[in-house]
Formats: sequence, C-alpha cells, structure tokens
Amino acid sequence: MGGPGKRVPRGETIVAEDGHGWIVETQHLTKIYRNRQIALNDVTLTLEPGCVLGLLGPNGAGKTTLLRLILGLHRPTAGSVRVFGRLMTPNAADIRRRIGYIPTNPQFPRGMTPISYLDYIGRLFGLPRDVRKPKLATLIRAVDLLPHSGEPIAHFTPGMTARLAVAASLINEPDLLIWDEPTHGLDIEARRSMLELIKQLASEKTLILSSHNLSDVDEVCNHACVLNKGQMIFHGTLQDLKGRIRRNHYELDVDGEHKAISKAVGVLRGLKDFIQVVFRHRRLDVKLGEETPNTALLAQLFQVLHDHKITVISVRTVGMQTEQAYLDLVEREESRGFVRLYPASEAA
Amino acid sequence: MSTNAAARGEWSRSGSGRRAGEMTDPPAVVTVRFHRFLPYWAVLQTDLRQTAQGWLFVLWIALVVIGVCGFFLYRVGVQQEAGLVQSAAVLCAEALRAAFLGSLAVVVILSVAAISSERGTVADAVLSRGISRHQYFLARQHARVILVGIAFALISTGIIAAGSLLFRGEADISLSGAAVVIGLLSLLLAVVAAVGVVLGALTNSAVLGITIYWLLLYGGGLLLMLAPESWPGPERELTRLRYVLQGYYSAAYYGRIALTAIAIAFAATICGLIGFSRKDV
Repeated sequence: MGGPGKRVPRGETIVAEDGHGWIVETQHLTKIYRNRQIALNDVTLTLEPGCVLGLLGPNGAGKTTLLRLILGLHRPTAGSVRVFGRLMTPNAADIRRRIGYIPTNPQFPRGMTPISYLDYIGRLFGLPRDVRKPKLATLIRAVDLLPHSGEPIAHFTPGMTARLAVAASLINEPDLLIWDEPTHGLDIEARRSMLELIKQLASEKTLILSSHNLSDVDEVCNHACVLNKGQMIFHGTLQDLKGRIRRNHYELDVDGEHKAISKAVGVLRGLKDFIQVVFRHRRLDVKLGEETPNTALLAQLFQVLHDHKITVISVRTVGMQTEQAYLDLVEREESRGFVRLYPASEAA
Repeated sequence: MSTNAAARGEWSRSGSGRRAGEMTDPPAVVTVRFHRFLPYWAVLQTDLRQTAQGWLFVLWIALVVIGVCGFFLYRVGVQQEAGLVQSAAVLCAEALRAAFLGSLAVVVILSVAAISSERGTVADAVLSRGISRHQYFLARQHARVILVGIAFALISTGIIAAGSLLFRGEADISLSGAAVVIGLLSLLLAVVAAVGVVLGALTNSAVLGITIYWLLLYGGGLLLMLAPESWPGPERELTRLRYVLQGYYSAAYYGRIALTAIAIAFAATICGLIGFSRKDV
C-alpha cells in the first residue's frame, strides 16, 4: 500500500515515492449500477509487490465490486484501474494471465471432474499441454484431491470445492492473487489449512483477501483497506489500523480479599480519568479517559492494587484489536455524515 | 490440505521442482508460453460438449424425431390402408416445415441462454482467466451456431431420406433441391442462433432475452405474412419448399436469401462483440 495508514479524504491520490512498481493502482474508481446504486465511490489506492491486503467492510460495502473492477469483470463508471502498470479492461486477457482469482462461493461447470476442470482452466489461460498437464497433477496432489480426482465436482463438499478453487487460482503461477472470502463456509480444519496456505503464498506473491472474518485478516494480512457503503475509509498497514483502537478499556482478573478489592474499587472510582470501574466475578473492568496518557493511569491503577495487597492474575484490552479498530472506524464514518464532503484540510 | 507443496518450488516461477535449500545452481527461469487461441478452443469445445449433453438439446432432438416419425407413420398408414398416393416432396416439405417452426422456439432458448444464463459466478470462473471478452463471445456463438446448424442439417437429411424411402412410389425429390432445402433451413436456423447469442449477451436476463427474441421472430414473421407477395415471408418460403425439393427453384433467389441472412448474422455479431465487451458480467 502506498503511504502510511491514514483516513483518506475524498478524492485524495496516494502517490508512490518512486512513482513506479505498483501491482494494483486505482484512481478515483467509481461504480454506479444502472444509475440506481452507488457501489463504489471515488476509491484511490495502490498496492505494492509483496503486500497482503485485507479488504474489510460490512455487507454491501463494495468489496466484491472493487475486486471485480480490478479483474476487469466490471467496467468502472468513472476512474481507472491499472494492474501491473497497465490499464485493466474486459479484453485485457494478458493481464489476467498473471492473476489468480477465487470468487465467493466458487461454482464450476456441471459434469466436470477436478482433472477436467483444471485442464479447462489451464486452457483458458492459454497454457500448452506440456505445461498444463504436469501442473494440474501437481496441484491436485497439493490440495489433497487425488483420491477424488475422478469424481464429479457436483458431489464435492464445500471444503473440497474451496481446495479445487485454490488449485484453479494457482495453475497459471500468478503474481497477484485475488481471493474473495476464501474461508467462507469452511470448517475449522479447512479454514486453518487455508490460512496456512495464504501465509506461505504471501512470501512470494501479492494477495488481496476480502473477508468478513477479522481474525483471518489479523492473522495473515499486513495491510488493510476498509470500505463502508462504497467509500474507502481507511487504507494502510494493519498496525496503523490497530493504532486507531481506543486504548482505554481493560479487564483485569484479580485475586485478594473481597473487602480489600471493594476498598480499592472505591479508591479507583474517586480518581480522575477513571470513567468506569466495575468489579464482578473476580474481574475488574476499567475504562479510562483519553485526556491523560494511559500509562500514567495504569501506573496509578497498579499502585492502588498493590496498596490493597491485590494480586493481578491477567490483564487484557477489551475486544480484539483489529475488530475494535475496524468497528471504531465504521462507527466514526457513520457519524461523520455531511462532514465527509468537506475534508478538514479544505475547510481550513 | 497439504499446503507445503504450494509453498515449494512446484508452482514457483523457477519451475525446477527442487527445494530452495537443495539448489546449488540458480534455478533456470522457464518462460511460460501461451497459446493465444487456446482459450477460444477451450470454451468452444466445452460449450459444444455441454450443450449437446444438455437436457434442452436432447429434448429438442427427441421431440423432432418422435414428431416426424409419428407424422410419417400416419401418412404411410393412410397410403397403405386408403390407397391414397402421396408426393414424397409434399410430405417431406410438410414435415420440414413443422420441424423448422418447432425448432425455432427451442433454438431461441438455446442461443439466448448461451451467455446470459451463465452471468455471475460461473462466468466469473471463466472470464477472470486469460480469455478476452471477444474470444469468449465468439466461442460461445460459434459453438451454438455449429451445433444448431449441424443438428438441423442431420434432422432435415433424415426427414428427406425417410420420406424418399417410405414414399418410393412417388419419389419426386431431386438431389439438388434437397441439398438447397437442407442448406437453406440449416443456415437460417444457424443465423437465428447467432443473433440469439448476441441478444443473450446484450440483455441482462435470459428470460428477458428469450421473450424479446420470440416476439421479434414470431411477430416479424406475422408482419411479413401481411407484406406484399414480392417480399420473402417465412410462411410463403416454407410453402414453396415442396417445389424446391422437386428441383424447381431459382439458385440466385435463394443465394440472395442466404447472403442476406449471413449479412444479418455478421452485423449482429459485430454489435454483440462491441456491446458485450462493454458490459458488466
């Protein structure tokens, strides 16, 4: 991704330092379906080689539309998409030869077996027989479909279908992988395998993963792009996204005399910037204010606990970090309303 | 899933198949050669096979064969029981007329559905690969045109051959006339299929495309029936089939019809190519 993580004002262009080498570059990308539905609104983003981008957003945010525009399956209403430095169009077959795509709920032509399907996909990429045949055999082996290689795909479980889709997306040795919700509908074991595969592929390829599952993105991605109602509200590194979390809500599992704990709670409630202190079932729930640095407040908290001879068993922030940061972003974007029309820089 | 294989050099650019740690020499870079027209052939072959195995195509052939067999058996019965002598050309023309008009309805569905029924994830699985919209469109269209053309040519050949054999006493069918009828009817149905694929590519739903095409074809045919005699109406041309089968026809006239039909198909294909490459799938 180009540039540090930041909220993207409407229409802002992120320019690379050297201006070259983007895998994907979109400029003011907008998609309006039949003048009725704005699916994507002025999205400008860049993707550099080796980036694993997690595409996040609620249902209808425009994630799949963005992916389909990048692939040239849809034509933009306005703006442009460049992939490997070249303009993506519906007829840009040579660019798509370098992309591996898995749609959400992949479907396959009826009556085909994994071998015939992968052979078909290989031919769609223009791969000659001597390249195609060994490759499809290797892939079928790699995704553990060898015992089922002669069975019709129609009888496959979702896990097997997902593995076949992975094999199909890798047959052309792509430089860019675009996987739309690859863990959707998979059981725990298949999901784990998929995530491990993504991690391994990430070392040599550029990936775009669309997902609803924030823990998946948290585990395998190094960059994130958040869409909400067709608008890109964040793009940058995952660390930048997590940096937006409100670091003021903690849970502490404590041990000590009940009387001492109640006394400590009373003291904490009297302190400035301790907005909420609740003790329930040996768990202390503390919300801190944002004005004072949280390190100072936490020091006060531990001092009080120490003074009352209370032992801390564990400390954690409330909510998963990425999830919390994502929810905060979406919530803030919802509340901005008309403000988003006038970015702070313009207003100044 | 055995994910280790994915991470190994098995599908890396080097293509050497050895682990990185085992390599002593730098891996030889294999440049993957792409066959430019292989995607077109892949879609064409797959569509031909799948359409020929599809229930609609099988139903079409079965209905036409059963209908023609029933018609001829009835006529043979009439000839043998009542002793009515019947012209083979007349009977074959009647059978061909019914088969053509019946086939028209099915060919519309077969052709319009070629692209429009696959919109969405199935088309995604194809169009997201290394195939251009032009190649995909042409492959689909050519597959349907070939299948419809060949299927009807075989059907009409079968009808004429059966008619000639069953009504040998009044075998008045000329070889050249039969060839013209088979060629012309097959060509017209193939053109209907070609234009149908275009409509399917340009409309947003198969049902809408089929409805529009049926209205155009049957409505247009009805209007042409009301047109002056000098105009080539479908009903008039189908009525004349008996004379063509007997060898009474103008090669120039039917040549003009064939050329006009090909020109219509060609123009429609150009529109389809342009329109489909500008559409979302």
